[in-house]
Amino acid sequence: MGANNSFRSQPDEQPDQLRLLIMLHNIGATETSKALTIQQISEWTRMEASELQMHLEKLIELGYAQSFSSDKTKKYHLTIDGIRKVLSLYS
Amino acid sequence: MEIGKLTWEFPPRVVGGIARHCEGLAKALVQQNHRVHLFTLDFPGSPNYEEMDGVKVYRASTELGHPNFLTWVLLFNHFLTKRMADVTSTIDFDVMHVHDWLAAFSGISFKHYLKKPMVLTVHSTEVGRAQGLHSPDSFSINGIEWWSMYEANRVIVCSQSMKNEICNHFNLPWDKVEVIPNAIDATKYQISVDNGAVRQRYGVGWGEKMILCVGRLVPQKGIEYFIRAIPAIAKRYPEAKFVIVGEGWSRDILEAEARATGQNNKIHFTGFASDREVVNLMTSADVLVVPSIYEPFGIVALEGMATGVPVVASKVGGLSEVIEHDRTGIFVYPKNPESIAWGIDRVLSDPDHAKWLTENAKEKLHKAYSWEAVAMKTVEVYRKVVE
Repeated sequence: MGANNSFRSQPDEQPDQLRLLIMLHNIGATETSKALTIQQISEWTRMEASELQMHLEKLIELGYAQSFSSDKTKKYHLTIDGIRKVLSLYS
Repeated sequence: MEIGKLTWEFPPRVVGGIARHCEGLAKALVQQNHRVHLFTLDFPGSPNYEEMDGVKVYRASTELGHPNFLTWVLLFNHFLTKRMADVTSTIDFDVMHVHDWLAAFSGISFKHYLKKPMVLTVHSTEVGRAQGLHSPDSFSINGIEWWSMYEANRVIVCSQSMKNEICNHFNLPWDKVEVIPNAIDATKYQISVDNGAVRQRYGVGWGEKMILCVGRLVPQKGIEYFIRAIPAIAKRYPEAKFVIVGEGWSRDILEAEARATGQNNKIHFTGFASDREVVNLMTSADVLVVPSIYEPFGIVALEGMATGVPVVASKVGGLSEVIEHDRTGIFVYPKNPESIAWGIDRVLSDPDHAKWLTENAKEKLHKAYSWEAVAMKTVEVYRKVVE
């Protein structure tokens, strides 16, 4: 971590995965009943589906998001660890 | 009294110290025969209403979202207001107590709607958290903080250093601000712990030193400076293991910093740990490090003192009021890895002195930091604004 960045409460330029995590939180994808499809997330974030897929898989691997299939459609939402990671930005 | 409390954070929605503060204070107020209605945000798995040790907890579901943080805050305040409106039709509140700017919109609305006084506890400031105002959102939050303090009938802070900070930064009248320290429930920390089993869970074997750091993984907690101190500590104590507890947005950066030390095999990031597990860890550790660069109070230091672990902390903000150097803990310079390494060595190299520090710390804790005392002082503030 560079010295300048140490003085920030939030990152100046959020990496795409963190930005996606924050957006998922702020738009409300925080539990199963509020999970969103790739297409819905893409509409909010303006990210390409393929790029989104890659970031979401990484977030799942890190334990910050999870997915499930509903009516043959995959949906995504944050885990409790993911919610806490986002809230740490604001507290 | 009939007390309404507003907070965006309440267990199990635990982010920083606000949740624990609100829980401790609300329960102590109930024990002193006040009725506490606490309004907060929902959290996965939590009911929208429950009673926790007599505290009536109402959770608002945020049914609309927005990618922008400030827009999201305004939206959740709308749903908090809606949830409160259901309750205020049947309850005649004496006072509304708001915690931090995040819930202030609802609190201010109800102050004007109900014509009841509002008390605001400021747990930290944007300018302090960010060490300056660096973005449009930061400037906006700073403005909302000023507005909340202006609207509040009284403002409470947890340390003298916070009072200095807000009076200087916001030009607040000195006599509008009350200092009431944080507290902990000391009985929660006096439990039987199988130290060996706890240490084993985190890869610390018999005869090895366990050096613990607990805090949100964000820059204001100064954990990067603790990590930079690790090579020097590892050189002096090759058997030392380092356990870093907490979650936060800068975790990736801190993990990279840990890899750069060349001691990564001795460093364990646990992620978020429950209150009980934090007690287990503190009780089992050889030293607790609190390397914050900004700390309005530093409740984690009190928790460490309650468990009997020696505390090494940077001398900033409220920490400088909680700890007495070389009597109840060890102070080190903030943002200074060499100083942090010195502080840890001061404790590890002299176990008798470390034991003396912890005995003094426990004695001070019992005298000065109980929720019962905090609740009594808070009620005095409520009575001032009600009159």
